Amino acid sequence: MADQDRTITIGNVLRADIRGFVVASRLPEPDVPTFGTFVRAPIQQGQADLIGLVYNITLQDDPFLKNLAVTVVEDDPRYTEIIRDQQENRAIPVEIAVVAVGYRDASGYHYGLPPQPPMILHRITVCRKDEVRDFTAVPDFLRTLLDNRDVPADELIPTALQRAARLRPEALREDFLLDAGRYLAHALGRDPVRLERILRRLI
Amino acid sequence: MLHLERLKADIDTLSLMAAERQQQRESDTAKALRWLAEAPAPAELRARLAPLASGEQDWAGALPTTDMPLDARLVTVADPPPGAVLIAADGSQVYPDSHAAVPYYLLQIGGLAFHYDGSRPTPYSCESLHFRDDELYDAQGYLISNEQVGKQRLVREMAYLAELTVLERQLAPDAPLMVLTDGPLLWPYVERSRADFLALEAYLEALSAIRQAGGLPAGYVARPGGRTLVELLWASRLTSAEIPGRLAENPLRQLTDAALMAHFLQPGERSAWFSRPTATNQRQAGHGHEIWFCYVNVGDAHTPVIARLEVPRWGAADTDAITTLHAVLLHQAHVLNGYPYALARAHEEALVTTTDKAALDSEIQRRILEQGIVVRPSEKAQQKAYLGRR
Repeated sequence: MADQDRTITIGNVLRADIRGFVVASRLPEPDVPTFGTFVRAPIQQGQADLIGLVYNITLQDDPFLKNLAVTVVEDDPRYTEIIRDQQENRAIPVEIAVVAVGYRDASGYHYGLPPQPPMILHRITVCRKDEVRDFTAVPDFLRTLLDNRDVPADELIPTALQRAARLRPEALREDFLLDAGRYLAHALGRDPVRLERILRRLI
Repeated sequence: MLHLERLKADIDTLSLMAAERQQQRESDTAKALRWLAEAPAPAELRARLAPLASGEQDWAGALPTTDMPLDARLVTVADPPPGAVLIAADGSQVYPDSHAAVPYYLLQIGGLAFHYDGSRPTPYSCESLHFRDDELYDAQGYLISNEQVGKQRLVREMAYLAELTVLERQLAPDAPLMVLTDGPLLWPYVERSRADFLALEAYLEALSAIRQAGGLPAGYVARPGGRTLVELLWASRLTSAEIPGRLAENPLRQLTDAALMAHFLQPGERSAWFSRPTATNQRQAGHGHEIWFCYVNVGDAHTPVIARLEVPRWGAADTDAITTLHAVLLHQAHVLNGYPYALARAHEEALVTTTDKAALDSEIQRRILEQGIVVRPSEKAQQKAYLGRR
């Protein structure tokens, strides 16, 4: 999982629409963001930042690895350095799909779809811990996810909530999750099956 | 759009010619192998070819450098010694484009230090953006050629390898340290100007710095072209009186050194050392870096893979270092089916992708726009970009 204490640039926008975007990235394995990571992308000529959640990571075809796979044997000492290079150094070509959940401008955070998608080739960055805490201070960011049928929202919501909860002092985590649970109960009052599915994953 | 159907006749002819050439090559190979076995002793050959050794004659052959028979085949049975270090580097570039929004050229060098001690290899890279008038335009005011950029890249690659050699030597004071570059170690350009002279001087200085830091520089030429050894074999069939008069009559026209060596060297074997008596090599010799070369088969029993290995004469004389280099190259090439792993990774570190270039162009245009200046690619470049997306 990416260390959210520091800012990690994960790649450039490859394609985008108002609901989300796809990033082309070449990062060493330890830096590849995980499912549910909060990221931000500059929009409106840098006047605002879109906030999004990683919901899919696709490993692209890698001819280099195809060659290696034929010869390298994991436990053979002749290949120790090569395996370490592949696992610890080498940039893995990945496509990272992000769903938009809000944005931040000079007046603060806003929840829902942004006014504009990020432009192609703009750099995408993993949000810092304080940014995630501030953005998730109210559970309204869940609304866009609940309405989006193109992403695995029922998996993504509990993952994002747990990630945001872990960034808070232990004494505050339960209250944070309870608040989110109440919000979900209200939003999904007419869909108890879905509500239960999400809440069970949250526990 | 390419109309393949219109090329059908040409493609048929091409494939027939390939078959004929293959037949001719097999016959030439048999003859060359016999000449190799029957070649006179190196000392006798060197005496016979002495008029060609000055580099003033326009002869594309090579000379034997040691007293080892021409058909010597050397093996190494050892694994790379523990603690040995291989530094590999490769470069890439974005050439200057007169149709771009802003002219510039970019060099990026990638490297990998591979330590035979179980540790994680160390990747390196550096880049430089060249945009000043004296970097971009020649004395006549024309945008510099791709060849000029290639020279700068070669110099930068060797200078970066020298920096990495010093760095790695500090980390491993007593380790065998090999320094590998992708391509020939013999400077491949003709000197036409003062800038060319300075580029070669800088290149040779970097080689000296590598030597001073205790590194063994080596050029790895994959799938080598050329027929310097085949020319030597033909010369070995001539008498002193026939040299240089009949040198141009070599009947083995279809044969390259690599094709010959693919039949001669067993997997893992390397040949004896040779040297090209060219003016450039004489000049490098003047700086203490005459280049010797040998061929090595880094393939397997089913698929021979011939590479040309170039090292300075002072490096070739160090038998232990060459044995280590030989073992390291076999290990490196085995991993990637015939190409050194460290070079492949260095290339990957150096690569400037089309996405990287687009991001760089975008950033340059944005920053210039912030200065209130609007720049854009030429209409031709824009149109080509649209069509290129098909």
